Amino acid sequence: MKQLFGIFMMIPFLLFGCGRSAPEGGDDVSISVSTEEKPAYLVVFSQCNNAEPYRAAQNHLMEKLWSEHENVELEIMDAQQDNSKQISQIETTIRKKPDLLIVAPNERGPLTDIMGKAMDADIPTLCLERDIVEPNFTSFIKCDNYAIAKSAGEYVEKYLTEKHGEPKGKIVELRGLLGVDAEVQRYEGFHEVLDKHEGIEFVQEAVADWLQSKGRERMTEILRAQPEIDIVYGHNDPMAVGAYLAAKDLGREKEMIFIGVDGLGGEAGGIKKVIDGVLALTFIYPLCVDKAVEVGHKILSDPDFVPEKTYVMDSAMISPENAAEMYEKVTLD
Amino acid sequence: MEHLKKLQSVAGLILIIAMAILLSPEDRRDGTIIFLTQENITDIFRQVSEIGILALAMTIVILVAGIDLCVGSMLALAASTVALLITTWDPGMAPPVHIGIAVLGSILFCGFWGAVNGLVIAKFHMQPFIVTLAAMIGLRGLARWLTDNRNIDIGFGQDHSGIFADLFSQKIVVIGLFVLLAIFFHILLKRTVFGRYATALGGNTQAARVAGLPIARIQVAVYTLSGLMAGLAGVIHCAQNHQGSPNDGVAYELEAIAAVVIGGTSLMGGKGSIVGTVVGTLIMGVLTNLFRLRGVDTNVEMMAKAVIIIAAVRLQQGRKTF
Repeated sequence: MKQLFGIFMMIPFLLFGCGRSAPEGGDDVSISVSTEEKPAYLVVFSQCNNAEPYRAAQNHLMEKLWSEHENVELEIMDAQQDNSKQISQIETTIRKKPDLLIVAPNERGPLTDIMGKAMDADIPTLCLERDIVEPNFTSFIKCDNYAIAKSAGEYVEKYLTEKHGEPKGKIVELRGLLGVDAEVQRYEGFHEVLDKHEGIEFVQEAVADWLQSKGRERMTEILRAQPEIDIVYGHNDPMAVGAYLAAKDLGREKEMIFIGVDGLGGEAGGIKKVIDGVLALTFIYPLCVDKAVEVGHKILSDPDFVPEKTYVMDSAMISPENAAEMYEKVTLD
Repeated sequence: MEHLKKLQSVAGLILIIAMAILLSPEDRRDGTIIFLTQENITDIFRQVSEIGILALAMTIVILVAGIDLCVGSMLALAASTVALLITTWDPGMAPPVHIGIAVLGSILFCGFWGAVNGLVIAKFHMQPFIVTLAAMIGLRGLARWLTDNRNIDIGFGQDHSGIFADLFSQKIVVIGLFVLLAIFFHILLKRTVFGRYATALGGNTQAARVAGLPIARIQVAVYTLSGLMAGLAGVIHCAQNHQGSPNDGVAYELEAIAAVVIGGTSLMGGKGSIVGTVVGTLIMGVLTNLFRLRGVDTNVEMMAKAVIIIAAVRLQQGRKTF
């Protein structure tokens, strides 16, 4: 029995020792985690999957921006791309009665109910970037994926017309996780522009689940089957970069251009890939975090503040011409 | 000795609960201990129910010295099948009949594949690890093929799919099923001939064969049960998530096995109990809840679980090893 006690006594150390550390960033005002003096406000951010670079950038900015406000304790929960896990995490969060809940839903359908429960518990709830089935949120901070995909389509239309003298050519599309709103919008906006041209052919529409590794795998197969490709359109930058790597392996990367979406800053982000000549084009998909913190902070500090139901964030096209300038602007720290 | 071991897993659960009470954050408005609120306790039960139901059948599988690696894939298969049957199949029946057929059909479909596993294991004398590993891969493929790789979304309205989701995602239904099945499995194991045969078979296959036990029949029954439970867990999973996803349930089999071994069931077969498995399931559930209440990083949660699994099994071994 001694062993038993010894082992179980380790758990409190794990719990206390590995709790959240204060965020980095060198700010004077850091998020307080001291147990004696509880911060006035608890903000919980339910993130669907820390493992994606876009999500990591969101978390990073979220920590940075909230740390600028005193008396706010921020908790970030990672659902690891698992609907059940995110539902459970939000369920447990509701019991803690936070002052603000920010949710980046993993998928539309599964998260709808539980966000409704948070609203029922009078917790102001911000829905970030991805839509849910019913408007179970205080505010929805969205980016217009459809508009982004349409701009991508228009660019491709122009590019192919210049290349072949008329709008014709062969396109490979690498799709994100099927059924997710972003995937649907990035697909439909693109096809809205291009499907009307008979000469433009989608030779493959492969599903690569947002992942660079899968983008590379799927593209390798496609390259074997397709002797001619003009455009590779990835629903995010990592998949487009994966496709580029596959083409480079076979020495065919110069035959086609690669277009992505997300346009994150930093070494690993899509803007750097445009600077490096890997991607011809990417579109900034806003992190939405700055707006969330701004709206969230107003909700916390001003009881009379009535937030709008929807905030739409702006995008921007990144080409080699403006990449260096945008890189400076978007990269954090 | 047996009694002492059983006490150990229960003592472990009591310790973890005591710790959860001590370390739980307090309600920021009225100072109550959040862990002890009725809502939180029922949350825990609801959250462990799917894995718990898988673990009940897994206990008997492991008791006969087997293993079932395909229950995660089967859960996805059942979730996909029930969602397909409810949303895309329109037999023009009343909601209860349509939903009943969809639910039962999906569960029996998984039961069928469980029976196939059992038959292959028994008739071809193949190792359960290999047979269910193959099934894990194949059934995942089947689920994705049936759904064309898509998540089948369940509606929110008062149509058949909305009624189905509302019914099978209710806390009382989810928890009730887990509790009733736990009692059923406990009786099955302790009070029936089947339970005694299964224990005997796992304890010593040679002796069981010499004694003339119907080994093949027991194995088929055990894996069929496992399939049926995976099917039921899949139906609940679909309702709770409002969607049947062929990609869900990855590594659920490992969580179920972890709950079983923490509960003191030996992977060598012949020794184990349903009480232990329920306790093992709750240890994981309470621990997860405590970590989330305190806002600890999910990755730390995973590391802590690893420590618990090793510690629990080391304790079950007692002192007779080496």
